[in-house]
Amino acid sequence: MKVSLKEWTKSGEPWVWLNAGAVAICMIMVVGLLSLIAVRGLGHFWPANVYQADLVENGNSLRLAGELVDSEDVPAAQLRDSGVAVPEGVEFMQRDLLKIGNRDVGGSDFIWVLDDFLENRSQPEMLLVAERREWGNFYGYLRSLKENGQVVASYDGYDKNAEYMALWNKFQASIDRALDLHDQIVDIEKHEIGAINYELERLRLKERSLQLKEVTDQSRYAEIDQRRKELDADYEVLQKNLLDLYTQFNRDSFTAETAGGQTIEVGVSKVVRAFLPNNMGIGAKIGHYFAKIWEFMSEDPREANTEGGIFPAIFGTVMMVILMSVMVTPFGVVAAVYLREYAKQGFVTRLIRIAVNNLAGVPSIVYGVFGLGFFVYFLGGHIDDAFFPEAKPAPTFGTPGLMWASLTLALLTVPVVIVATEEGLSRIPRAVREGSLALGATKAETLWKVVLPMASPAMMTGVILAIARAAGEVAPLMLVGVVKLAPSLPLDGNYPYLHLDQKFMHLGFHIYDVGFQSPNVEAARPLVYATALLLVIVIALLNMSAIAIRNHLREKYKALEM
Amino acid sequence: MTSEAKTHAIDISAMQRDNRVLNLEDETCTLEVKDLRLAYGEKEALHGIDMKIPKNRVTAFIGPSGCGKSTLLRCFNRMNDLVDSCNITGQILLDESNIYDRSVDVAELRRRVGMVFQKPNPFPKSIYENVAYGLRIQGVKKKRVIDETVEWALKSAALWDEVKDRLHESALGMSGGQQQRLVIARTIAVKPEVLLLDEPASALDPISTLKIEELIHELKKDFTIVIVTHNMQQAARVSDYTAFMYMGDLIEFGVTDTLFTNPSKKQTEDYITGRYG
Repeated sequence: MKVSLKEWTKSGEPWVWLNAGAVAICMIMVVGLLSLIAVRGLGHFWPANVYQADLVENGNSLRLAGELVDSEDVPAAQLRDSGVAVPEGVEFMQRDLLKIGNRDVGGSDFIWVLDDFLENRSQPEMLLVAERREWGNFYGYLRSLKENGQVVASYDGYDKNAEYMALWNKFQASIDRALDLHDQIVDIEKHEIGAINYELERLRLKERSLQLKEVTDQSRYAEIDQRRKELDADYEVLQKNLLDLYTQFNRDSFTAETAGGQTIEVGVSKVVRAFLPNNMGIGAKIGHYFAKIWEFMSEDPREANTEGGIFPAIFGTVMMVILMSVMVTPFGVVAAVYLREYAKQGFVTRLIRIAVNNLAGVPSIVYGVFGLGFFVYFLGGHIDDAFFPEAKPAPTFGTPGLMWASLTLALLTVPVVIVATEEGLSRIPRAVREGSLALGATKAETLWKVVLPMASPAMMTGVILAIARAAGEVAPLMLVGVVKLAPSLPLDGNYPYLHLDQKFMHLGFHIYDVGFQSPNVEAARPLVYATALLLVIVIALLNMSAIAIRNHLREKYKALEM
Repeated sequence: MTSEAKTHAIDISAMQRDNRVLNLEDETCTLEVKDLRLAYGEKEALHGIDMKIPKNRVTAFIGPSGCGKSTLLRCFNRMNDLVDSCNITGQILLDESNIYDRSVDVAELRRRVGMVFQKPNPFPKSIYENVAYGLRIQGVKKKRVIDETVEWALKSAALWDEVKDRLHESALGMSGGQQQRLVIARTIAVKPEVLLLDEPASALDPISTLKIEELIHELKKDFTIVIVTHNMQQAARVSDYTAFMYMGDLIEFGVTDTLFTNPSKKQTEDYITGRYG
C-alpha cells in the first residue's frame, strides 16, 4: 500500500522515528563511552604475553623483549623521508609500540619498531617480568639469587627445566619474604612513627602556645619535655627495629640477563611482583588479573602515580563528597524553607530565586577562585590567627584543604538543593498543612513535623543532583585542596581522626595528573582510562546509595492520593 | 401545608427521630457571630452574618456552591488567616470572648475549635501517631496518657475495633472512610469544644457516609458540632439546627425540622424543593 509523503508526515510517524533515533544515538554514545574506558582501562591489568625478537635494521641486529602495546600504519613515504630503508612498492608499513621496560638499562620503557624489521619472533617460556618499585618493569631471564651477596641458586640456560624452576621458586619465596618485611616496615613508618611524629608536632605547638601566652609555670614546660623524652625513647626503639628490618629486607638480590645480553643485579626488596607470563595458564592469568585490579583499588600509587593503586584518590573523592553533602543539605534546605514558607512572595523573592538559579550556571573555576580568595586566604587566615597562632608561620586552615574543598563544592551545589527542596515543599498538599494547623500546631511545628519529612524525598533528589555535579568537578578543587600525592589519608587513627585541614587526592584530578603531568605518558595512558572508569563507578555508587535512601523515604512518606 | 407536599424528597422518618421540641431561644450558646464580613481582596464573600451556634447540638450549613458556608465555617477557627488577601471585620465570640482579638493565640484557638476537612488528610505517619499528633504538639510526653487518649479517641470515632491490631501501620493504607474517621479521632483527641466538619462525607461511599453520620450523632453529646453539607438529606438526618445561606447572606436559621417542613423564606423553600442550587 502506497502512502503519500503528506499523509505519512501527518500520521506523526516521522516524529516517532526522529525521537527514537535521538534516543538511540544517546544510548549508543553512553554505551560507547563506557565500553571504551572499560576496555582500555581494564585491559591494562591483563598479563599479556611477552615477545622476543631481533630488530634488524641496516645490517645491525638488536634483540628485544617486550609486550606489544599498540600498532599503527605509517605512510611509507614519510618513513623514506626520515631515512628508513623502505622496500619499493609499499605504501604503508606497520609500526609497533613495544613496552620493553628496563629503563635502568635502555633509558626508555617504550620503543616504536617497524614490524617488517622484526625477525626470529618467539615467546620464551622463561622470560621474566618483574614489577619494581623504581625504574619500571624488568624483562629478562633470571640468572641467580643471592643472599648477603652469596649465590644460593643459579642457572644459565633459556629452557624450562627443573633446575630453572628450583631457582624460580626460591626467587618467589624470597620476594614473598621481602614483601612481608616491607609491610612491617610500612606499618612502623606510617603508623607508629607517624603517630609519634604527629604527637611530637602537637607537643611543639603546645609549647609554642604556652610561650605565646607567656606562661611562666615551668612545671608545664617540664611536663611537655617529659612526654617528649618518652616519645623520643619510643622512637629510638622503633628506629632500631626499623634498621634491623631494613637490613633483613635488603638481604637478597638477584641477577638477570636482559634480552640484549646484559646482566644486571637488582635487590629483591625492589621487586613488587615477578611472573613468567608466557608460562602462565589461563587460570593463573585470571588470578593475576584480579590481583592487579585489587592492587589498583587498594594500594597507594608508586612511581609518580604511574604504577600501583589509587586508593587515596578514591578515599579522598568519597570523603569530600560526603562532607560536601553534609554541608550542603542543611544549608540548602534551610534556605529553601525560608524562600518558600516564610519570605513574602514578591519582587525581591523572585529576584533572589533567579539569582540562586543563575548561581548554578557560574563556571566552576570561578567558585574555585572564590574559595581560594575567601575561604582559604580570608577565612582560613583569620581562623589561623584566632585559633592556631602557635603554628604560625605555617598555616593550618589558611591553606587549601579538605574542608575548604568541600565547602567550595557545597557552595557550587547549593542552588540545586534549594531548587529541588522548594519544588518538594510546593508539592505538599495544602490539606495536610491545614490538617496540622487545625489541630493547634503552629506553622513551625507543622513545618518540622509534617511538611519537612514529607519533602525529604525531594531534598534527597537535590542531594543526588549535588553529588552528581560535585563528584565530577575538578577545576575548583585544584585551587582549594587537591594535590598530586597526599602523604596520608584525611581520616586516620591520630586524634582528632578527621583532618579537615589536610590536602587530599581526588580521582578527577588524578586522571588529569596521570594523563598530562606524568613523566611517562605511554605507561600512564591505560591508567587514565582505568581511573576514569573507577571515577564513573564511584559516582554511580554514591548516587545509588542516595537514590536508595530517597526511595526508602518516598515509600515512608508516600504522597497522599488526592 | 403546600410545603409538605413539596418536600417529598426529604426522609421524613429521619426528621422525626428526635421527638424533643427544640427551640433556639432555650439553648446555651457556644459561638456567637456578630456582623461578620469577609472579603477576598475587593470581593466581599460574607455580607454581615449574625448567628448563635447552640452548645452540644449539631448545626448544619446548607446552601448552593459558592454561598459562603465553608468560608463562614473556616472563620470559626481562623483558617482564613492563611489566605493572604482575606480581610475580616466583625466578631466571633467563643465563650464570650472575641476570637479575632489581637491577644488570641491562634494555635490555642484551633485546639479548642477542631476541624475536619472535605477530603481525608491523614499525615503520612502511623495510625497511632496520627491520633497522638495533637497531644504531642501540646507537649504531652507521658506514654500512658497518650495511649489512653488514643484509645479513647479511636473508640469515640468508632474506629478502634477496626484498627486496634495495626495501630503502628501507616494511616495511608486505610480506606477513605476509615481515614476520615481517623481524622475525626485525631481532632477529638485534643478534646476541642467545637467540632467543625466541612463536608466530611462528600468524598466517601454511602456506607462510610452512614458511619460518619452515626458518629456525628454520638459525638454531639460531648461536642458542639457545626457541619457544612451539600446534601440536604444529610443535613436533615444529622442536624438539630440548620442555617440556609445564599450569596454570602444568612437567609434562614432555625430548627432543622421546621426549616425543612415549613421554611419561612421563599428562597429557602425554593432551595430545599430543588428549584435551584
